[in-house]
Amino acid sequence: MTHNMSVITVLNGGTQTTVQDAGRPGHRHLGIPRSGAADRLSFAIANHLVGNVWDAPALECALGGLHLRFEKDTTIALSGAQMWAQINGMNIDLNRAVGVEAGDILTLSYARAGCRSYIAVAGGIAATEFLGSVSTYLPAALGGIEGRALKAGDELDLAGDPSGPINAIPKGYIPFLSGHAVLRAGAGPEFDLLSACSRRYLFTTPFIATSATDRMGSRLRGDRIVTEADFAMTSSPLLPGTLQCPPDGQPILALADAHCTGGYARGLHVIQADQWLLGQIAPGMQISFRRCFAAEAPDILRTRNAMWGALIPDFSF
Amino acid sequence: MTAITPLIRHYGDNAVLVEWDTAGFNATVSDQVHALAAQLRKTPIFTEVMPGYDSLVVSFDAEDLTLDEVTQQVKTALQADSDICVASESRLVEIPVSYGGAAGPDLAALAERIGKTPQEVIALHSDREYRVCMMGFIPGFAFLSEVDPVLQHPRHATPRAVVPAGSVGIANWQTGIYGLDSPGGWQIIGRTDLDMFDAKRDAPFLVEAGDRIRFVPQ
Repeated sequence: MTHNMSVITVLNGGTQTTVQDAGRPGHRHLGIPRSGAADRLSFAIANHLVGNVWDAPALECALGGLHLRFEKDTTIALSGAQMWAQINGMNIDLNRAVGVEAGDILTLSYARAGCRSYIAVAGGIAATEFLGSVSTYLPAALGGIEGRALKAGDELDLAGDPSGPINAIPKGYIPFLSGHAVLRAGAGPEFDLLSACSRRYLFTTPFIATSATDRMGSRLRGDRIVTEADFAMTSSPLLPGTLQCPPDGQPILALADAHCTGGYARGLHVIQADQWLLGQIAPGMQISFRRCFAAEAPDILRTRNAMWGALIPDFSF
Repeated sequence: MTAITPLIRHYGDNAVLVEWDTAGFNATVSDQVHALAAQLRKTPIFTEVMPGYDSLVVSFDAEDLTLDEVTQQVKTALQADSDICVASESRLVEIPVSYGGAAGPDLAALAERIGKTPQEVIALHSDREYRVCMMGFIPGFAFLSEVDPVLQHPRHATPRAVVPAGSVGIANWQTGIYGLDSPGGWQIIGRTDLDMFDAKRDAPFLVEAGDRIRFVPQ
């Protein structure tokens, strides 16, 4: 495929827009996080709508503000956070394939609910690969467009030719995002070391995501979560979805770009089926945890995988 | 030293933690951790096999495997005879470090709390060879074997928002080098100008698990 010109010109990169795919798992022992779309489900929906494979590279826009100009006719779809999206000033639907023409300008306002919007383009976005993925990992400038967030003047190309026909997701399937995320979680390895009060608070009182929220993690504010006794932990491996509990009592929820090891008690671990929702945590959002016992989690995951896998080929949580 | 039997614990619904009960650094345990990692990597059914100092986390897709199945596989792997040698033929990498000042903002306070001069802390820290026990946290972060008992000091209660790349720190008995600018809670005593991680280099990582390191004060 040859290109005479780019397909998209970035007019405004917004709060933080990066190229993401399904990430680069399997390298945490080297300190390389999985990265990838923080909300895997909305990312897959956007790709599916434009006829891409579910894990084609797409744009992830946190909190809004992204302005793009299309230089060629193409098909796009937006999914994820509830944002006003307009083309040439006219509102467009989220979660639906939309044809755009050369010269059209897409603008995203701010996220009314949720945090990240996924913008898929038929054919996928071309970006730099590192360890088998084009996912942008900002702290090490890996993947994406020069390893950084998009900025005005960037010109984006397609990764390939548009492959499949456009698709629709049946009414009622699209997840509804609100200002309150409920995450089902199992015990982390150090759960039993937390004080009795802390163990109760974790499942009974809501937390607020603070402004210290990004792709690495979200610092929560709420009742203090502390260990029963002081303990000096040796650094040990850490996974996305884990709630770390440092001595200051304000827990940190590890997200897609989270550190690969940590030295604080791992209190909870969000179940695999709910980890997509971590990507929609915006500053100021309320977060509640619901206890999910080890015996329940596999059934929840299988049910969710069966439902979404039937709609989006090869997708699983 | 004889091998210690580790505990195997569930880590949420899609990971298992293997943990050896040892106080401080234990070279035998470190060998066991890496032997187990090598054994588990022989079957490519796990998402991540992440060795630590005295622990190992193996994560998996909960659609394909159960916690009980993985626990059983870990037990089998622990019993398998595997003799990888981590220490004997490893490289020695010298890391030049500027101690104290802006490069090591915690050096003076740490020295005062343990009743030493900054010069004595520098001498104690650079006077021994360390082993790279694990890589992780962030790309290029090298977790090293134990510091002199006198130098042991807890992390900051609240992590710093930014610790510059190359910073050399202490957390309890551990010492390590930050691979990138990153949030972090270690006591920072110095900094090296070497790039621990550079994605554009043919070998992105300056050191790897098993290497030996010596700090050279600048």
